[in-house]
Amino acid sequence: MKTLYVEGDTFLHRLSPRVKLVALALSSLLLFLTDSPLLLAAAAVCGGCIYASLGLGWRQSLLRLRPILLTIAIVAIFTLVLNSPGQALTVLLRLTALALLAAAVTATTSTGDFIDEITLAARPLERIGLVRAADLGLSIGLVVRFVPEVLTRYHAIRDAHHARGLKPRPLTLAVPLIILTLRNADEIAAAIDARGIRAQK
Amino acid sequence: MSTRDLVLAALFAAIIVALGLVPPIMLGFIPVPITAQSLGVMLAGVILGAKRGGFAVLLVLLLVAIGLPVLSGGRGGLATFVSPTAGYLVGWLFAAYVTGYLSERFVDRSQSSIVQIAGFFLAALAGGVVVDHALGVAYLAWGTGTGLMTAFVGDLAFIPGDVLKALIAAFAGRAVMIGYPLLPQRA
Repeated sequence: MKTLYVEGDTFLHRLSPRVKLVALALSSLLLFLTDSPLLLAAAAVCGGCIYASLGLGWRQSLLRLRPILLTIAIVAIFTLVLNSPGQALTVLLRLTALALLAAAVTATTSTGDFIDEITLAARPLERIGLVRAADLGLSIGLVVRFVPEVLTRYHAIRDAHHARGLKPRPLTLAVPLIILTLRNADEIAAAIDARGIRAQK
Repeated sequence: MSTRDLVLAALFAAIIVALGLVPPIMLGFIPVPITAQSLGVMLAGVILGAKRGGFAVLLVLLLVAIGLPVLSGGRGGLATFVSPTAGYLVGWLFAAYVTGYLSERFVDRSQSSIVQIAGFFLAALAGGVVVDHALGVAYLAWGTGTGLMTAFVGDLAFIPGDVLKALIAAFAGRAVMIGYPLLPQRA
């Protein structure tokens, strides 16, 4: 599966993932607390510069940001019509700044680094007994591993519909997909246990 | 969590990701396109129950957070958690849990088919429509500063599609419950 991480050696790439995530969280908090258009505009410009410094090129950058910027634009227009231009501007600037900063962090942090950070962050939860930190990394790996298989199965079921002259419907596609996919759970669980992957260290 | 439960949740997360690649459908009487992914969230609750269904959705959210484009339309990354629709996204977690909890409490194999389907439908409505939309509207109203009324009105267009999905989830949930009796008890 193609990730949104972009190889590179910029300043952001070299920054530790934890610093980036904490900085993002803090900036998000600050941006939600302020309502001044000036500050928000400055933040948006800042975000734009940081994102531009990644050197992604216009096409890639637009591709990644387009759905979110579109949603932001629609919400801003709604706000403009139903509330005031001032509020619309605030919404537009705040969300755009956040989106740019968040996208910059995503593009400069590899999935492996993210998983390490998540595992570390989940350690305290382990004490409460909510979830085992190592299980998160394992589960994420499992999902990524099985998505192609599920997709293949989905296409096979859809083709089977066409072969029988049936129109594929959400119901008639979902049920076989789910049953056939979940049926493998026992084998997979046995394979995991046989390898002792979840054994307590 | 037993390994089997973990694997069931992970497999369902894979199903939810795969459903994101199904192209959205346009139904004539509903003004917005219907995407299949939120159907997957309701299904997770109805079929796997609260804990495993919730964990499956958590895995999907983690995949989005670490930068994989698994949301419908190829979206992903941390930016989706600050987008105006982020409330709906995080709401999936609570929706799956609530749907799962209600399914576990009120639906079992001994009931008649009508009762089972009705039970799953109400569970899917409570989670996938009420809880998810409440959280979505809350973030839209407060987080983006559009105000409760505006957000609520904007949300109305999406409700018919999600009610339809709840119905599909109910029928599918019942079919899986009957057709795959080996599924470990939802607990």
